[in-house]
Amino acid sequence: MTDMKKSKANLASRRSFLKGSSALAAAGWIGALTGGFVLKPDWAHAAGSIKMGIATDITGGIAPSGNANWQTAQFAVKQINDAGGILGRPIELILEDTASDPGIAVGNVRRLVERHNVDVILGGITSSMREAIKNPIVKRGKTLYIYPQLYEGQECTPHLYCTGPTPYQQCAELIPYLIKQGNKRFAMPSANYRWPQLLNVWTKRIIEEHGGEVVLEEYFPIDQVEYSATVGKIKSEKVDNVFLTIIPPGLGAFTKQLYESGFQSNGGTVSCVYYDENSVNYVAPRELEGVYSCLDYFHTVDDTFSNNALAGYNEMWPGSPYKLTAGTAATGMYRGIKLYEAGVNATNGDLDRAAVSAAIDGITNVQGMGGEFSMVPGTGHAAMNMYVAQANGGVWDIIKSANQVQPNECA
Amino acid sequence: MSLQTLESKMEEFVKVAFDIISFSCIMVLVVSGLAIIASLMGIFNFAHGEFVLLGAYTVYVFRELGMPEWSGMVAAPFLVGAFGLLLEMSIIKRFYKAAIAAMLATYAIGLIIRETIRGLIGGKFWAIEAPIEGVFLIGDSSFSIWRGIIIILTITIMLGCYLFLTKTNYGLKIRGAMENPSLARACGISTNKLYAFTFAFGAALAGLAGALVVPLYSLFAELGLRFLVQGFLAVMLGGAGTFEGPVLGSAMIGAMVPGFQWLRTEIPFISYLLSPVFAEVFVFITAIIIVKFRPQGLIQKGRI
Repeated sequence: MTDMKKSKANLASRRSFLKGSSALAAAGWIGALTGGFVLKPDWAHAAGSIKMGIATDITGGIAPSGNANWQTAQFAVKQINDAGGILGRPIELILEDTASDPGIAVGNVRRLVERHNVDVILGGITSSMREAIKNPIVKRGKTLYIYPQLYEGQECTPHLYCTGPTPYQQCAELIPYLIKQGNKRFAMPSANYRWPQLLNVWTKRIIEEHGGEVVLEEYFPIDQVEYSATVGKIKSEKVDNVFLTIIPPGLGAFTKQLYESGFQSNGGTVSCVYYDENSVNYVAPRELEGVYSCLDYFHTVDDTFSNNALAGYNEMWPGSPYKLTAGTAATGMYRGIKLYEAGVNATNGDLDRAAVSAAIDGITNVQGMGGEFSMVPGTGHAAMNMYVAQANGGVWDIIKSANQVQPNECA
Repeated sequence: MSLQTLESKMEEFVKVAFDIISFSCIMVLVVSGLAIIASLMGIFNFAHGEFVLLGAYTVYVFRELGMPEWSGMVAAPFLVGAFGLLLEMSIIKRFYKAAIAAMLATYAIGLIIRETIRGLIGGKFWAIEAPIEGVFLIGDSSFSIWRGIIIILTITIMLGCYLFLTKTNYGLKIRGAMENPSLARACGISTNKLYAFTFAFGAALAGLAGALVVPLYSLFAELGLRFLVQGFLAVMLGGAGTFEGPVLGSAMIGAMVPGFQWLRTEIPFISYLLSPVFAEVFVFITAIIIVKFRPQGLIQKGRI
């Protein structure tokens, strides 16, 4: 019953998209022109405010995720400021648009460090963006950096903390579950870049450890539009589960061709670990139905903290097309801000990078979306709860949850 | 060979043939508008991809207004054609004497359209339903109904265009105006009107193509751009200056794309040589080699 209600609400919000998205996109265009945006807290403290830099993609190809990150940052900071700030000091937010373009981003991020002299920077969504901005922030800029997106792992730079799930976290629960369900033969059609390549290394290892078999692993150009040969191969190889890491724009053509080949109707299953509540927009309903995902949060996760936070976000941004979901890095952004808050609390208000970084490294049991998380000392990554979910009429039914899954990175 | 394996081989052959023909038709459909404008007016329209995008966007707008997808598909060629007409009368007509400047102008127009639509759709990807979803079965193999419809529509539209250009009085005027504009004007034919009509017609075809293929690929800002480079290659391969040349060229490019992918998965030796990424590149290499040996194109100028 609640599922039905949620799915209706979903449809209604899709209707109101035109107004919302065009207005916000227009705001994005203006943002790109002005370059930099300061959101001062509405109260002050003698010691001044804590300066938090957000470097995210307000414009360009990744803009939908970037705007969700920016809205989440504003929401999390408003929660902290409304509750009296960090040890009495409010947070001031400074936004720089990374414009989905590492070339533009480097200059803008340097402005955060040099002109605004921020205490911490959160942001970057794609790995190429993280690679481009991490040196200007961490090395030359000597500033703390928190990266919020699910990603391919192997980022072990000191003073850089990752708050999204790692490949191991995304597969450790999902793959054994799929194999237990009777999926033995896996196909891994993938987009040809770093994230699928490294994620698939872990996936393959876990599949083989649990007695499964990878019968097809292929890497396509990101915008490939014709997959008939691969889909034919998936059929002739009698694949049970398609572990999908193709991303848009190639994604639409693949999911359609796979569905029309009769793969799902003949009992095949599909899994894709970046699918979240936004997927209903870009994957046709019947192609999404029954797909498995595994993420650090779904709207259907039922704990009081997450429920209140989600309600608060939706109240702050009513009707916004940019939702607080895991696939857009928004949950990682929220986690990152809570992590920084906990770190500054632990140093007793000392904002020096070395001090905060040392404190963050050992932070445990902080509340975030999807439940508590704890940093794994010396790794820059967090243990967090992971959820295996299945798409059911536009909502994600949680079918398995695992507490405090280890990141398995940088050990 | 037992009867059963023969049957399954037949079935596989039908499946591969369907995939190749359907993608071939998609390419023909998408490139035809570009081909008409390039061949009959001598303008390489860099905004062609965005006309395709506009057609796709029309379907999306109709859907969001609560109307069925097919109504958007019917409206798309008229709306995009009208848009093309306005564009021709306001901007394009000033560039007929300067082919390079025309390319730059159409490129700029394309950029404006693409970024505007990117803003309007919030930079996202949107799944669009085909008016008739589902599959039909032959043996154990299933075939997309919508792809089947695209095959039939493409053949019909191309036949219609060909007959229009070769058999009607208006088509004769268009060809005449293109062959020798001053003589055509001396004969009392208004070349300005003909050019405007031809450009609008090409735009309408692009709009229709976008509307018909968007259910296969979902809507996003680079939808048209994705086909533009292959489109120009098709025009080059087939030979600019005729209508059937580029159509044949795009059919060949369209057949090569799934064809090479199929070779790659079916023939063990080739699968080591040809990754999916390289199979795409190989299409270009093959086309360029053909152009090298037949620089005038597959079909020479002045046939129709």
